[in-house]
Amino acid sequence: MSAWPSLGFGLGLRSIYYPAVLEQKPSVDWFEIVSENYMIPGGRPLSILERVRADYPIVMHGVSMSLASSDPLDFDYLTQLKALAERIEPAWISDHLAWTGVDGVNLHDLLPIPYIREALDHVVERIRRVQDFLGRRLVVENASTYATFRDSEMEEWEFVREMAERADCLLLLDVNNVFVSGFNHGFDAARFIESIPVERVAQLHVAGHTTYETRKIDTHDQPVCDEVWTLFEQARHRFGDVSAMIERDDNFPPFDELLAELWRMRDIAARADAGRSRSAT
Amino acid sequence: MRLHEYQARFQASVIEGLDSGKAEILDFVRDSPRTDRETLFRVYVDAYRLRLAEFVSNDFPILRDSMGDADFGSLVGDYIDSAPSRQRNARWYAWRLPEVMRESERWKADRVSCDLALLERGLADAFDAADMPALAIDALAAVDAGDWSRLIFVFHPSVAMLDLARGVTRLYSALAEEREAAPVDDGAETTLLWRSDDQPVYREIAEDERLALIESRAGKNFGEICTLLAFQNGNENLMGRAAGFLARWFVDGLVTQISTSE
Repeated sequence: MSAWPSLGFGLGLRSIYYPAVLEQKPSVDWFEIVSENYMIPGGRPLSILERVRADYPIVMHGVSMSLASSDPLDFDYLTQLKALAERIEPAWISDHLAWTGVDGVNLHDLLPIPYIREALDHVVERIRRVQDFLGRRLVVENASTYATFRDSEMEEWEFVREMAERADCLLLLDVNNVFVSGFNHGFDAARFIESIPVERVAQLHVAGHTTYETRKIDTHDQPVCDEVWTLFEQARHRFGDVSAMIERDDNFPPFDELLAELWRMRDIAARADAGRSRSAT
Repeated sequence: MRLHEYQARFQASVIEGLDSGKAEILDFVRDSPRTDRETLFRVYVDAYRLRLAEFVSNDFPILRDSMGDADFGSLVGDYIDSAPSRQRNARWYAWRLPEVMRESERWKADRVSCDLALLERGLADAFDAADMPALAIDALAAVDAGDWSRLIFVFHPSVAMLDLARGVTRLYSALAEEREAAPVDDGAETTLLWRSDDQPVYREIAEDERLALIESRAGKNFGEICTLLAFQNGNENLMGRAAGFLARWFVDGLVTQISTSE
């Protein structure tokens, strides 16, 4: 079982749901924010975040750290991130095993890396430096990808496992990203999950995606599909009571529908937990 | 190949697209079992422009309504092509749109659109400007009347003024409220923007209030402002108007601190 304390079952805090969250105080154990949305001087988003924070644990999830970029680390960005963390006191801070640009440019996307030794050494060193700067362990997420490189020297899960061990960071296992990348690149998603060290996983993500005949795209604009729920059950069985949440970033349903999806997550987790108990006895 | 070279080639291929002849990165990418590498890589290329266009569209919804989808789409395309993003936070990606429009041969002639962009950006800036509690008008009562001429004001970080074509502010209001507006003319107007109750707000201001605000924000005291206004227009009801501005600045929540000059 993961050594990291579980927050339970969470949702992404998105502006369209501010009224529902503030007025209903819904039965959600915690909320995850996109850090950059609140890395602004002041105003309504920050004041609402502080009101939500008064009632719920918050996790900060970033999209711009560009951990795998060959550009220097952006300490202006990290300073802003740290200031937000000091204000919000999140349970943890996460970002992605990805890069967003190089030579000062930002493509505002989570881009793939070749799984080569040079990249592994580079990412490990940067995670360590970020952890030193932030004064806390970082939680790093596997991204969905649409390209793999001929020169890769290892599989993605081997890279992730060694990265976590050497950098002494934690992992955010995005089950949907494993499923999407597995479909796109022809690897076995279940094998990926079975290869991730249990004690390193602090959080699970699930989300919806868009399916085309030859590829899947990680769009976060659909309900979670049955195959991803099956994979989530497998992950819950392996990692135990780990904080889990549903990401929804577009084509937003009424908040009650999202809450119903979160109840489905709880039910599946309960089933997986029961299976673990039976296996243990 | 080193990591930086992978990334530089990858980035160039995304920005230039697959039909540019610069997609050398594909030589280093695998086909997938289900499809070829071009099809998968195109996900990044398509997402790049779509995502940037969405950032601009989200920040300038009234400009989009005013221009119509075709012209706005063309403007966004020009903006994306003008320079790649160097902003870490997507919040600031579209910030340069008014400047790019005014520097563009194609768009600078459309002054209404240029000024709508300026106003819409100003409102977005006011929305997430730094926090600072506004001072209640009662604070004035605590100042001895003899010291009023020495009053100096500190304004809320969201306070800004924009010089626009006359009629643009009313056009913005009309578009936001989906009603007809009078045409914009060749004259000029000044619009004051700030944040109130977490929302950006604005109003047109007359020339004397504009001058008073410029001088106040530059650190001049109330007496100096009154002297300047008297010099500018010799209005015999000047003190009444100046006191009116002052009261309204407090009621609107523009003032965050007062002190008296030496």
